[in-house]
Amino acid sequence: MKYFRMFLLALLGCVTAYLLFLVQPGESSRKDGRVVITYWEKWNGEDAAAMQQVVNDFNNTVGKQKGIYVRYLSMSNVDQKTLVATAAGVPPDVAGLWNTQVAQFAEINALEPLDDLAKAHGITADYYKPVLWEGCRYKGHLWALVSSCGSQALYYNKLLFARKAAALRKAGLDPNRPPRTLDELDRYAAVLDEYETLPNGFRRLKQSGFLPMEPGWYLAYIGYWFGAPIYDPQTDRILLTDPRMVKAFDWIRGYSLRLGKDSLSEFRSGFGTFNSTQNPFIARTVAMELQGPWMTSTFEKYRPAMNHGKYPRSLERSLSPTQRQENCEWGVAPFPSAVPGLNDVTFTNFDVLMIPRGVKHKKEAFEFIAFVNSQAETEKLNILNCQDSPLRQVSRHFFEVHPNPYIAVFERLMAGPHAYGVPPCPIWPEVGAELDNATQRVSLLEASPAQALRDAQERVDEKYREYRERQRARRGSQG
Amino acid sequence: MTRKEARQLVRGLTFLSPWIGGFLAFTLVPIVLAFYYSLCDYSLLQSPVLIGLSNYRALMGDPIFWKSLINTLIYAAIALPAGMLVSLGLAILLNQRTLGQPLFRTILFIPSLVPTVASAMLWLWLFNTKLGLINTLLATAPMQALLGALNTVLHALHLPRIETPIGWLTDPAWALPSLAIMSLWGVGYTVVIYLAGLQDVPRSLIEAAEIDGAGAWQRLRHVTLPMLSPVIFFNLIMAIIGTLQAFAIPYIMTGGGPARATYFYTMYLYDNAFRYLKMGYACSMAWIQFLLVVLLSALAFWSSKRWVHYQGQ
Repeated sequence: MKYFRMFLLALLGCVTAYLLFLVQPGESSRKDGRVVITYWEKWNGEDAAAMQQVVNDFNNTVGKQKGIYVRYLSMSNVDQKTLVATAAGVPPDVAGLWNTQVAQFAEINALEPLDDLAKAHGITADYYKPVLWEGCRYKGHLWALVSSCGSQALYYNKLLFARKAAALRKAGLDPNRPPRTLDELDRYAAVLDEYETLPNGFRRLKQSGFLPMEPGWYLAYIGYWFGAPIYDPQTDRILLTDPRMVKAFDWIRGYSLRLGKDSLSEFRSGFGTFNSTQNPFIARTVAMELQGPWMTSTFEKYRPAMNHGKYPRSLERSLSPTQRQENCEWGVAPFPSAVPGLNDVTFTNFDVLMIPRGVKHKKEAFEFIAFVNSQAETEKLNILNCQDSPLRQVSRHFFEVHPNPYIAVFERLMAGPHAYGVPPCPIWPEVGAELDNATQRVSLLEASPAQALRDAQERVDEKYREYRERQRARRGSQG
Repeated sequence: MTRKEARQLVRGLTFLSPWIGGFLAFTLVPIVLAFYYSLCDYSLLQSPVLIGLSNYRALMGDPIFWKSLINTLIYAAIALPAGMLVSLGLAILLNQRTLGQPLFRTILFIPSLVPTVASAMLWLWLFNTKLGLINTLLATAPMQALLGALNTVLHALHLPRIETPIGWLTDPAWALPSLAIMSLWGVGYTVVIYLAGLQDVPRSLIEAAEIDGAGAWQRLRHVTLPMLSPVIFFNLIMAIIGTLQAFAIPYIMTGGGPARATYFYTMYLYDNAFRYLKMGYACSMAWIQFLLVVLLSALAFWSSKRWVHYQGQ
């Protein structure tokens, strides 16, 4: 019995030692000799399934020829997990992160530069839409390539416009077209607003023409539509107190003043989540929104009739582009700018593929990234995900089969000279949090636009100064 | 130490070794390392560079640090006494021998079993300004009449009126108290501990007080509470630690908004560590939080000499 117990203890010790010191995380090659590369991605649901198709394509074609196999894992908090895994020396070969993290991760040396590999694969500035190419670069190097991207435009509900046609005409507005200037947008919105009065005298908003805070995902970048630069690359300074930025925030405040902040807050609390039938655009309680091309698939999932009002879905493939647009309850147009002559302004948001520092199979990892960025595959992925194509050259097929019949509007905006992205600032997540706080303070009438932006600027300046000082000191200490 | 004692010691330590190993690897070493990193510029991927007390100095001048700390202290100042009073009151009520006592005890404990995320979603709907049950009840005629009377009093005291519908989670003035109200949802565990303590109050003492002519309030004040004071003290320490570390509920329900009205200390710590990749800064925040908990617990221990009574002393 004594020897048996000793044997058991020794066995337990051996297993523990083996698990702790000898087991390698994941296999790096398969029985067929193909190098296995791990790819971590943030997407789930249909987006994850779309990427799975691209991964399968790679594994069955280029991967097979070149002896590479991609193991694809979809997960939450992918950025944190990538960071921790990289610090532990076992990073994934490819990580699917966000564009806001390109500068942040590059600055702390978390990524492998991709310049040479991209050049060898013919992926250059001429291949990409300029705003995306610049968004993948930081301090003269390429750190990422795009997986999925979307520009923002104005969605308007034609049905709600038609219901209020008489009132719109009375206000001198055409109910058969979207607003073309920001002033016009405000006037359309005011006509489309509807109220009811509660027994206690509270004036409840029932329907709104437009709300800057709905969904409010891109309010940090609203300055672009007012001609504000937000960031100066020459001086490497974030410009939150630029008068044009103040004007943009004053426009946000205008809606709280006109609709009443309590009424607005009560109205918004009745909205459901984006992915639900209570999405206010789907529920027809908000008539206009700033959104990306993916909205079509959300309509398809939660209120398909919004996409097929005139002709049944079975006829979709045989319809002309104009008929496809007529089939929708909604329309898309460039979001109007506040500056006369400044047209086709958009903010571009995108997901990126990066290679974390210290990967074992950098070349093989880039083979996969390059494959995702081939015209056929990127168009396939972005049709499935209902997004834009990141490439300059877009095939006719892409426009014909894309689920969003207005995809040409988004493509034009993203390829245009007034397409803007996230500034190349390594502390942008902090700047974004400050801008988010400033928009909330302004919309709640807690601070004037000038004050809220001044406070944000002060904090951001201090944070950025400290960050640069520490990075300088670090570089100095490392020689 | 005899050979037998030495052998017993080794055997005892062997049995304890999983806990000792776990404590060293997952608690003590991280605490010590966190202190070292709090003195460094450290982003997880770059090697730590010693910068002395710079992180602590920077925190002192960081308005968001102060905002998050003040929010947390206000929340603790509301949630802690409210939680203690409500749970003690409920425990005393549930300790009465009445019909259906086990049923009431079970009902009260059930909310504690609901997962945090599910509780948060439930309360998001209860607090919803437009569709929430609370505002729907407040909109009824009797409640409106009651609110009208309350507003008259508030007006006389030169205090702001309560306007309905209340933006429980969307109005910066209401958001923090709303989260404190919600914290009462999980008092079930504390009530169970109080109930166990109440079972331990010697019946002879209560009977002696009764014979001496003590009423219900006097028995509670002079017998039950002093006998229960060690349990109250334990719950106080746990509540101090819990309220100062509030994270999951505000993170899910408000994300720190509106306008940072519910941005808690632990949320800012988390953001610094994992969103802004300032691990050294986050470690210094963690250490300040640790010291704050130690300080408040030490204060509680110091004051306990005056109000905590142990049996047999």
